[in-house]
Amino acid sequence: MLIEKERTGAYVLEQRYPLPLASAMPDVWELWRRAKTLEWDPQIDIPWEELHPERYSAEQLLAAQMYWSRRTWGEYGAISESPALLLRFCLERRLPDLQFFFTMRTMEEGRHAEASWLMAERLGRYFPQPQNPPTAGAVGTHGVRRMAFDPETSLEGIFASLVCAAEEILIDVFKATVHKATNSAVRRLMELILRDEVRHIAFGWQCLDAWAPSFTPETVRNIEAAVTTMIENVEFRGYRNLWLAIEGGSATPAEIDADRISCEAGLGGNTPEDEMRVFPEFLKKIRKRMAPWSVAIPMFEHPRLGQV
Amino acid sequence: MSEALEHSARLLRAYQAQEKRFVERRFPLQFAPEVPALRELYSQSKGLHWDPETDIAWDRFDPARYDRTAREAASRTWSRRAWSVYPGLTESTALLIRFCLESGSLGMDAKLFLSFRPAEEAKHLEVCHMLAERFGDYTADPGEPGLARVSNHPFAQAALDGDLPVEAYVAALGALDDQLDLNLHLSHLQHAKDEVVRAALRLIACDRGRHVAFAWAFLGSRVPGLDARGRAAVVAAVSDLLAHVLLAGYRNTWLLPEKSREPWLAAEAETARHGLGASTPSQERGVLRATIAQVRERFAAWKLDLPRVEHAELGTL
Repeated sequence: MLIEKERTGAYVLEQRYPLPLASAMPDVWELWRRAKTLEWDPQIDIPWEELHPERYSAEQLLAAQMYWSRRTWGEYGAISESPALLLRFCLERRLPDLQFFFTMRTMEEGRHAEASWLMAERLGRYFPQPQNPPTAGAVGTHGVRRMAFDPETSLEGIFASLVCAAEEILIDVFKATVHKATNSAVRRLMELILRDEVRHIAFGWQCLDAWAPSFTPETVRNIEAAVTTMIENVEFRGYRNLWLAIEGGSATPAEIDADRISCEAGLGGNTPEDEMRVFPEFLKKIRKRMAPWSVAIPMFEHPRLGQV
Repeated sequence: MSEALEHSARLLRAYQAQEKRFVERRFPLQFAPEVPALRELYSQSKGLHWDPETDIAWDRFDPARYDRTAREAASRTWSRRAWSVYPGLTESTALLIRFCLESGSLGMDAKLFLSFRPAEEAKHLEVCHMLAERFGDYTADPGEPGLARVSNHPFAQAALDGDLPVEAYVAALGALDDQLDLNLHLSHLQHAKDEVVRAALRLIACDRGRHVAFAWAFLGSRVPGLDARGRAAVVAAVSDLLAHVLLAGYRNTWLLPEKSREPWLAAEAETARHGLGASTPSQERGVLRATIAQVRERFAAWKLDLPRVEHAELGTL
């Protein structure tokens, strides 16, 4: 059974050789090296004894449980979906630096998922699903696995949308709000996640900068389309923050408000005011960053953010 | 479109078609431990991380102690080993995606464990590459179609094949192939004399031991619940891998077709003679027989009977 499909040609064989293993992108290789020296364990590297859930009100705890549960679902996407990118690097025989680094990224995202789940649990309860099932569509997937396996979807577009746009906004919000996490266990977790994510984003920008000289007009269009899709169909559907969902979706008021209440309690999360401040800045930043590649990110209309 | 691009597009389409056959049900997304032994292995992965660059005393490594023939031989041996490690990057990644596609509510222990495994494989790959380079030069290509074919199987694609039960895949690639690979590494370690090579083999074997333990623990949690079809698939996959892959020389150079063996077999003999990280064919023969016996015995505990395999050189196994 295992070999039958190989024998009958039902599986496509990789062209594996020559198999180069030497670094060809020193900056990306450096990220792989850094990642190896900065491993951590959610079970022991977070001062859980300083969490003290008993010091918070039931409303605050519920909001924080919801916030960290949703973070868990988001991080899980990086276990369930993004690893398809590693397969793509290997199948397309991309440079070894990409392959080596991305193995660490998968591992780190697994760690973030576990850490976020632990945080929800230790705050009292992890929610294994959204309160209303349809919300699962908004918070459940960013669609990267499908894109990674689709040869018609350019790798540059995936990098720009997932690695540069989606992760960048996540981290911008984290950076802008980490000081509000007055709970030291929460703050430490946010710092550790941030430390890893900064490398993930650097990886995306470094690759795109290196590939930029070979961008064709089609590549540029692919990047523009992919980033626009990520903003409109993922961010504005509430994948990261349900408050941003344009349609309102089926999320309950408690779910939508969870980020704010949790943030105000110092337990992680952010407020609508944070989003209104950080999101336009983030768009401005990536527009500027992608402009030298002739990539033009359009303006977006959002009922609460206005024109951004 | 170049031939290489066309080929990679075909490969991606094959994966895409397999992925589309699954309907992922992500929610409810359960994280609580389900199989404590698997969660413990994941915890060990986190606690036992290491870095090929800093946890091996490269400053004590002196390849100049060995003559040119020995260095060239070791370089070849470690290059071939790198090719055999490389598939682990895609296979364990594909298996992780398979677990995620099958269910959000089941298998989180396995998913967390597998989220670490590609990085561990990458570290092993880095060690093999570093040793090959330090002994002389890493060889990126077998340069012989027979060896290239034998060491290139589409097992990552098989991991995403919904027709192949995940238990059958783990039984073949984990319980048999990983077990043989671990036992071979332990044999190389036992016979290695160079302290840096020994350190490298010890670190790799430690991770490999966990990979094998994962396979057995996972099977222990799933096999008792399999129906007759699932049990037959497990036996068939293991038998297939043994007869058509392992006995064709996937792990052991002396089992390769005669015309594909050199210069790799002579290189391994020389590497083994100098204690630089290889075993002799006779030592490997013993490891192979012992591994098959060990796997057969463990499967028998689940009343899974692995059929005997005939091999022209080795007789009945």
